[in-house]
Formats: sequence, structure tokens, C-alpha cells
Amino acid sequence: MAVVAEAAPVTGGSSHERRPGWGAWLFLAPLLLWLILFVVVPSVLLVVYGFCERDGLGQVVFNFTWENYVRAFEWKWLKILLDSIWYAFLTTIICMAVGYPAAFYIGRAPERFRNLLLMLVMIPFWTSFLIRTYAWITILSNNGFFNTALISMGMIERPIEMMYTPFAVVLGLVYNFLPFMILPIYTSVEKLDNALVEAAYDLGASPVRAFSRVIIPLTRPGIAAGALLVFVPAIAMFAITTLMGGGTNPTIGEVIQNQFFRAQNRPFGAALGTLLLVMFFASLWFMHARKREA
Amino acid sequence: MKTPRHLLAATVLAAGSLFLSGCDKPAESSSPATESTPAPASTPAADSASAPAANAPADEEAVADTGEPKVLNLFCWSEYVPQAVIDAFTKQTGIRVNVENYSSNEEMYAKLLSGGKYDLIQPSEYAVEALIEAGQLRPLDKSAIPNLKNIDPEFLDMPFDPDNKYSVPWMAGPIGIVVNTELVQDDIKGYKDVFQEKFRDKIVILDDAREIVSWAFETLDIPINDVTDENLAKAKDLLAQWLPLVKVYDSDSPKTALLNGDVALGVVWNGEGAILTAEDEKFKWIIPEEGTHIFVDSLAIPKSAEHPKNAELFINFILRPKISKMISDEFPYLNPNLAARELLDPDALANPASYPSKEELDRMDTFKNIGDKASDIDDLVTTLKVQ
Repeated sequence: MAVVAEAAPVTGGSSHERRPGWGAWLFLAPLLLWLILFVVVPSVLLVVYGFCERDGLGQVVFNFTWENYVRAFEWKWLKILLDSIWYAFLTTIICMAVGYPAAFYIGRAPERFRNLLLMLVMIPFWTSFLIRTYAWITILSNNGFFNTALISMGMIERPIEMMYTPFAVVLGLVYNFLPFMILPIYTSVEKLDNALVEAAYDLGASPVRAFSRVIIPLTRPGIAAGALLVFVPAIAMFAITTLMGGGTNPTIGEVIQNQFFRAQNRPFGAALGTLLLVMFFASLWFMHARKREA
Repeated sequence: MKTPRHLLAATVLAAGSLFLSGCDKPAESSSPATESTPAPASTPAADSASAPAANAPADEEAVADTGEPKVLNLFCWSEYVPQAVIDAFTKQTGIRVNVENYSSNEEMYAKLLSGGKYDLIQPSEYAVEALIEAGQLRPLDKSAIPNLKNIDPEFLDMPFDPDNKYSVPWMAGPIGIVVNTELVQDDIKGYKDVFQEKFRDKIVILDDAREIVSWAFETLDIPINDVTDENLAKAKDLLAQWLPLVKVYDSDSPKTALLNGDVALGVVWNGEGAILTAEDEKFKWIIPEEGTHIFVDSLAIPKSAEHPKNAELFINFILRPKISKMISDEFPYLNPNLAARELLDPDALANPASYPSKEELDRMDTFKNIGDKASDIDDLVTTLKVQ
């Protein structure tokens, strides 16, 4: 929610805080119902499942135990969580480095080209991300397109191992999440008032200074929204990381998913999920608190 | 201020393509047959009638109308049921088949028991046993499955389902080793030759805890169904040395990493091994000298099935020799259907991965249901994998 609010145009500095009337509540009802059904109830279930046991066929048995939460705090699981956060962080940084110039160019392009360029960003995403990920496997394998081409050109002798490595995982994540960075930044760039940039130049700013002191601050809402849209889902992503990483060095999303199905340990999966949830709340609260201070 | 409306649409599209298909396997569905209304069961002889078979080729058997809605929800292993077989079934019966895949028996239980609506599942022997014990399977109406006569008697009346009350064999086979002889010159004989330091990051294995632990048991000379805490502790020490060497865990299609040259050897299902050896001579199939076991995957109908008669119709359909041959052509596991084996290529029958020798088969054990111990096995492997 906060993401959308930030990306929205900011009109004036003062916010009008008023208590909503019953009419507003009526308008809010569908949203609230949606939130209760699909956010609150599943989250509560997750927390409760974390305190349960399971039987031989992996069904949840309602016997209270702390065991799952205690186990979730073992170093090996925390390390996976930290690794996943690191992958997500790298993904966000790379998406930003690649996405910002692209978004900036699209946003400043003549209006008649903008839609076309945006379409080009979107077209690959009309195909299922699984199929696009499989395509990467054929490109990156030892006998794949990339290695075969380099070897036949005589640039390398033996294939460079790329598949099933952390490199492949981050590449898969960057490729799939890039539009979520480009689109919000594009919105900010498109709204950027050119007069302000020209004013900076008129007042003697160098291009670097104009960029860092005027353009970046004005597009910051887009950057922040993009970063959140990439970082948060990238932590818990599992399908891409399983296909590209080969199941070794698993991410927290993979571990949780495996606990629910393959390992038949829903209570432990729920405990790990709760841990992730708490972490998200803590970081959102932290960011919110910092914004208040600023 | 101009609101970029196309942007919103674009974001929604992107989000849709990323998250809507958020399952770990693409759920395929057969080409949507024209939705036909439930067949009128007006004729008293509806059960034995052969109405839709009118335009079928002469050598194909008549297909009875089941009187159920024309839908079948099939929950099967990935890379196991050819699309061509499903299309042929839909064409002959008008029944639309919704396919969902799983890649381990445990995953199948988890989804079935948490309320998944499936008409037909494909459990392995120990899973059939567990599901019967839990009262989760529906007895078969044998009169609807006359083609059961095509199955090798060796694969009927097996200990996990005496008299085949609940299950019909689909395919079987051992687990074995595949070696890419271009990359590995050593003479590989068994598991201990595979899991060596020099093959670090060159190994693919099945992503299946029960399997992985059984290989350690076989190496340590422990019977595969003797799952006690003491034996698990022994297996743990061995697996702690083995698993860090593995590059890829894949139960769905371990052949991919081998074909792409990303790994040099692996421990895989026999059908995957048969595809590799048939594809390229450089791949060699080896039955581990420490011993291996044979899996028997069956078709069974869950108690909660909404279209059990359609499911029986499908079982009988795939037991036809020609249809069963189609399955073997695409997924060359050990086909227990003797009538179908007569139709197979001599080459396919001679593939040592698909059809082990009698002596080899006699040495192979099968998995039994181990109840609560299954979760201990999962915990052991999950923990070792992340180290």
C-alpha cells in the first residue's frame, strides 16, 4: 500500500488528515474484506501452524510445540535467509543500474516512441516466466549457446560453468524482475519537469551535479517503489532459483516451499514463513520510522 | 497532470505473467475439447454401450460412456504421461483431461490430503501402501478394466496391494547410474565410485529423500526398509560426505543437466537413463554393484475422486497394447504390459536401462511404507542438503 502512495503524485506538502465517515468505510469494505481474507487469515494460520506437529503423512496435528520456531533459528536456516537477502539485494542493485538509464531514456523519448519502447519492455513478459527461464538454461549450459559460440570462436578452450551457480540465480532474478524497476522509474521520469533541469543548468550546475542534485531527488519516489517491488518478492522467489540454481545453495523461498510439499513438514515451513513475515514487518516499520524522523 | 494509464495496464500484465503461474511446474492441460454436456444415461445399456467408438479405427476397442461429466483430473509425475496419449483419450471419449504434475510421492500426499480434487493419481508402491492404510483409495471396479489381463503376472498381486484391489501398475524400473564416458574415463561400478571428491560439482541426483537415503543404506548393507534411528545415524555420516559433492538435485528431468554437459554423471530413474543411452552412445547405464531397488508406479483412484468412472476408463485405455506402447516410446521405463512389449522395437527391448536382466531384477527389493519414519528421512536429507 505504502508503495502506491509513494509513487502517486505529491501535490503540495501538507497532508489532510481527516477521520473517514461511514461512506468512506463503505467504499473501503471490499478492500478490507480482501485484506482480511487473503492477508490476515493466511498470516494467522501460518503463525498457528508453526506451533503445531505433524503425523506420518505430513498432516498438521494441533499439538502445541515450540520445536519448529526453535529449529527455525538454527544457524543453517538463518544463513539461507541471509543468502537470500543478499541475492535479492544484488538483484535490486543490478536492476537499478540497468533499469534507471532505460527508464530515463524511455521517459525522455519523444511521446510517439514512448508507448512503443514500453511495449518492447513488456513483450517478453507475455510468455510464462518458466518458459523464459528454461530458455536461459539452453543459453547458459556447458553445451549451450553461449559456451558453444565462445569455443567455436576460439576465445575459450573449456566451457565456462554458469548454470546451477549463484551467478545463474541472480541473472534469472534480474531478468524476471527488471520491468518492476523500469516501470515505476519511468512514471517518475515522465513527470519530471524539464524546466527544473534547465534551471539547474542556468544556475551553473554541471551535468553530473544536475543529475545528482535535481534529477535523482525528483525521481526518488520511482526508485524507491521499484526497489521495493523488486527486493521483496526476490527474497521469497523459488521457481526461478530452483531451475537456475539446481537445488544446491537453496534460497529461503525454496526451503519453505520444499517444507510444505516434498518434505511434508508444514509446521516447520510455517515457522520459517512466519520468520520471514516478521522480518518484513520489522523492516517496513523501520523504514516508516526513519521517514517520520526525516 | 497526465496519468499514464497504459503503464498501469503494463504493470498488471507483468505481474500477471510472473505471479499467476507461480507454481513450480507448468500445469499443462490438454487441448480443450468442446465442452459437452453430461451424456444422457437414458439407454438402460449405457454402461456397455459403445456409442462414441463409431468413427474410431477398427482395431480400437469400444469405449463405454460413463455417465459422468466429461472431465478427468489427472495428478501424475512430471515427464511420465505423454501428451499424445492424453489427446488420444480425449479424442475417443470426449473427456477433457486436466493434468497436474508432482515430482515426489510426498508432494502428492501433501496436495491430495490437503483437499486437492483429483480423480486419478500415480503413486509408487510404498505410497499405494500408505494410502491404503490411511483409507484414502477407492476400490477399483475390475469389470471396467478388462485390459488388466495384459499385465505381466509378476507385477500383479504384489505385497503392497494384494489382488490389485486399489491399483494397476503403470511403469516400473530400478534406479541406476548414468555416466558420460566422454567426461569420465574411470570405470564406475557403484555409488561409492560416483560420490568421489574428484567428481565434486559434476553430479546430478534425484531430489527425493527416500531415494537418497536408500542408496546410503545399500552401500552400508542395510536393508532399505530397515529404517531405524540407529541406521539413519549411520546413513547420515555417509551422506554428509556425499551430498556436498552434488551439483544438481532434479527429480523431474535429471537428463537435462547430463545432456547439456553441466554434469558428468548421475543417479537417476531408469527411464531417464534409457532416454540418454538411446540418444547418445557416450552415455552408459550402470546398475550399482551395492544394489538397487525397483519402483512400481501404479494408477489409483483417491477416495475423494469426483469422476471415478472416467478414471477407470482412462486406466483401461492406457492398458491397451498400442497406447501402452506410445507411453514406452516416449518414456522408456520397464513396461509391465506384456501385450505392449510385443509391439516394441527390438532396440527398445534390448535397452539395459529399460529392461534389466532376470538376475538383476531378482536382486532388487521394493520400498515399503515406513510410516512416521518418512519425516525423519526428510529432515535428515533437508538438513544435509543445506550444509
